Amino acid sequence: MANSKLLSVFGLAAVLLGASVEQATATPVDDLIAGAKKEGVIEFYGPSTLGPEGAKELAGAFNKKYGLNIKLNFNASGNMTRDIGKVVGLSASGQPPEWDIMVVTDSHHGSLWFRKLHKTFDYKSLGVDPKIIEYDNGVISIANQFALPAYNKKILPAKDAPKRWEDLLDPKWKGGKLGVTSSVHHFARLAAGPWGEEKTTDFVKKLAAMQPTLSRAGEMAQRLLLGEVLISATMQDSQLHESAQQGAPLVFADAVQPVVSPEYHVGVLKGAPHPNVGHLFTVFMSTKEGQQLWEKHTGHSSAYVPGTKAYQFIQGKTVVYMKQDQAQLVDKLTRQYGKVFGFDN
Amino acid sequence: MKAESHSEVLVAAGDGLARLKSQGVSLFASGLSLFLMVLIGVPVVMVILMSLRTGFPGETVPLTLANYLDVYANPRTYQVLLNTLFFAVTSVSVALLITVPLVWILMRTDIPLKKTIYVLLTIGILIPVFLRTIAWIILLSPRIGLLNKWLQQIFDLAAPPFNLYSLPGMAFVQGISFVPGAFFMLAAAYRSMDPSLEEAAYTSGVGKLRTFLKINIPITWPAIAAVMVYLFMTALAVFEVPAIIGLPARIIVLSSLIFQSTSPNTGLPDYGMAGAYGAIMLLFGLVFAFLYVRLVKQGKKYTVITGRGYRPREIALRSWKWPALAFVFFYLSIEVFIPFLVLLWTSLLPYLQLPSADALSLLTFKHYLEMPAHVGVKPFINTLILMFAVPTLTMLLSVLVSWVVIRTQVSFRGLLDTLAFVPHAVPGILMAVGLAYLGLSYRDVFPLYGTIFIIVIAHTINWIAYGTRTTNSVMIQVHRELEEAGRVAGASVPRVLWKIVLPLIAAGVLNSWVWIGLLSYREVTMALTLYTRNNVVISTVVWQFWGSGWVPQVAALGVILILFATIVVGTVRVVLSRIGEIGEAS
Repeated sequence: MANSKLLSVFGLAAVLLGASVEQATATPVDDLIAGAKKEGVIEFYGPSTLGPEGAKELAGAFNKKYGLNIKLNFNASGNMTRDIGKVVGLSASGQPPEWDIMVVTDSHHGSLWFRKLHKTFDYKSLGVDPKIIEYDNGVISIANQFALPAYNKKILPAKDAPKRWEDLLDPKWKGGKLGVTSSVHHFARLAAGPWGEEKTTDFVKKLAAMQPTLSRAGEMAQRLLLGEVLISATMQDSQLHESAQQGAPLVFADAVQPVVSPEYHVGVLKGAPHPNVGHLFTVFMSTKEGQQLWEKHTGHSSAYVPGTKAYQFIQGKTVVYMKQDQAQLVDKLTRQYGKVFGFDN
Repeated sequence: MKAESHSEVLVAAGDGLARLKSQGVSLFASGLSLFLMVLIGVPVVMVILMSLRTGFPGETVPLTLANYLDVYANPRTYQVLLNTLFFAVTSVSVALLITVPLVWILMRTDIPLKKTIYVLLTIGILIPVFLRTIAWIILLSPRIGLLNKWLQQIFDLAAPPFNLYSLPGMAFVQGISFVPGAFFMLAAAYRSMDPSLEEAAYTSGVGKLRTFLKINIPITWPAIAAVMVYLFMTALAVFEVPAIIGLPARIIVLSSLIFQSTSPNTGLPDYGMAGAYGAIMLLFGLVFAFLYVRLVKQGKKYTVITGRGYRPREIALRSWKWPALAFVFFYLSIEVFIPFLVLLWTSLLPYLQLPSADALSLLTFKHYLEMPAHVGVKPFINTLILMFAVPTLTMLLSVLVSWVVIRTQVSFRGLLDTLAFVPHAVPGILMAVGLAYLGLSYRDVFPLYGTIFIIVIAHTINWIAYGTRTTNSVMIQVHRELEEAGRVAGASVPRVLWKIVLPLIAAGVLNSWVWIGLLSYREVTMALTLYTRNNVVISTVVWQFWGSGWVPQVAALGVILILFATIVVGTVRVVLSRIGEIGEAS
């Protein structure tokens, strides 16, 4: 009897020991992989510049890296602001988001952060560089965009392109020749950064007084190509990259400084139906494989990583980044400037 | 005595059966009225409710008038109202200036190529409006418009003669796109017009133009006025042209404000503001719906437009044939040919460019070849669901409503008819916003948000007014004697409806079924307001592509859509050639 009791105690101790050893060896990434296997699918929201082919390649590399067979459904962004609004609206009405992860700009993710709509994760524990983790473990910065005035070099000679932001106020652009995209957060970033609120607001009002042509960024690129608009006050390099792929002649007025640099952030949404795949994919986007594919298809890379295209681009330039503590101001000013230009009511 | 009492029993039994049938019909009509009241009333109530709330759908907030205060204390609202009225009045004027002569030429004269022209007109209505709008930008933009450039060169003009980015420019594009719809609405009135007055005028030596102005227009005036009001109500609600031409130039109309409120460029959606703006639209809609009903009733009093006992003779155009053909083909050029050519050109380019030798050397089919990867299968499946479910539900409800209204003596049949017409007073965008709010706020009782079925419901509600107008007019032409014969033979009410009434009205119903299916296929405003990743349809894909700047891809998809529509319309015409023409029933 005593022997059997002793055996039981040893048996229990062996089981507990085994369990704790197992716990000690299972890393967070293993847990995510196991969870991801069960979920099997990811709803991925990202910029349309990635394209279905890019999304397919990303999914292939992700599955290869983690030994998975996850199906990636790519949801191309048509209007990031509108879609962020949908996420907030769905959450307010107690509904799950449509997407697991969203790759949108830092200011768009800021709108989610104020409302605690990220499913946070200790990304540092998976080896992600803390410098690129933002919004209280809600997102990872994966790439930098650059925004500057842009034009069609076949229509506007380079010598006539603006050299400073203030050149956009030249009366020669009046009559709809100047365009402003709905990405007015570019100006809000200048306000939260080096220009300050007063100077930027004054600039925005003067720009609006020139009665520019208003449209979304993708549409603006087409108007530049046609020559309907001669200069767009800001344009993101994603549009330029896409145009370059088609052989279209859109270029930056790259003498203009400072350069505005919105960042692409990736994060998992609160209530996401597939959070494990979501977190794992978020981490994957910061890996070498993820970064290479992202750059290949969108033209964007991280300005924080030496040697990348983005890193090379910023050398010798003044660049405006948005920090987490500026998110609230950028959000407020974006709405204000949207009204000044006439994009919203 | 025994025989007498037996017959009394039979009579009593017959009376009882008739009473029972009548009660059954009343019960059925009550159920149908209740169903329509819920179907149509709930989204409208949602619009009113959201106008009295702030915050997001689903949030518990007290009712408030803050949205109304924000909207009506803002002078900009009144400027927008003026813009909206100008846009609506001008676009309707443009539409009628082209439609009325067009209808007269095609319905009352011996102009050649009639069948071809009908098919082209049908295709015209099916080219999505925003694709045509893009084509018009390429033609009439003050900076790059090809037509402007040519005119400047030919006449040595210092400035471009046309500015599309203006209220008249918007109204012109919208008005042109109204023509095919207005044509099919007016065609019936002109087709059935008594020719005796016309013939009397010709016999008295009055010319064709004078007869058209002094005889044709006055006697069809109620029909023209009804179409005018109908188009005006539509013009208040349309969104594509104001979005593509108006917004870049800061020309805002009511529908743009509502869309901006629910899908803002900056910040988050404000359903409360959308509701407050929607309330004005609702008011306009109700007033004009009332006017429309009155005009249609007035039209029925005109005994010269009965369609009975007349066999209208076609007027020989003789030497006027060529000017008439030129007018028709000028219209078809601006409505169908030129937009199609612009789309075809754009779809074959790697990126959007004006015609040039350089551009010609770059032509490629890559956008067509890449289309399956870009679009996927889901939008096509969803669109097919819409094209089948929407007309089926709409026509089913319409036949049932019309049967009660036209064929029964139910005391509240007038109310049911009015109820079926109410959706026409509620602009589509508002109905969709109401349904979205309902789906987001009350998911437990209405779990359809994000599914294709919410768009099916929106479209069904939207076209039930059209459906019932069609079935009313078709059913009224079928004499009661046939049904009475069926009942005398002992058939039940549903059996009579199924075996006698339906076959007799099948042609009209089928025409409307096809028509509504095609309208549903091209509709974008409601689909866009309700769209999520699961209920994406072809029209919303096209809109997304445009937003992403994928114009050559948009054009390629547009060309595919137009070719698809042409095949459908051609097939339908062949199939229905023996039982009626598209639009005849309307």
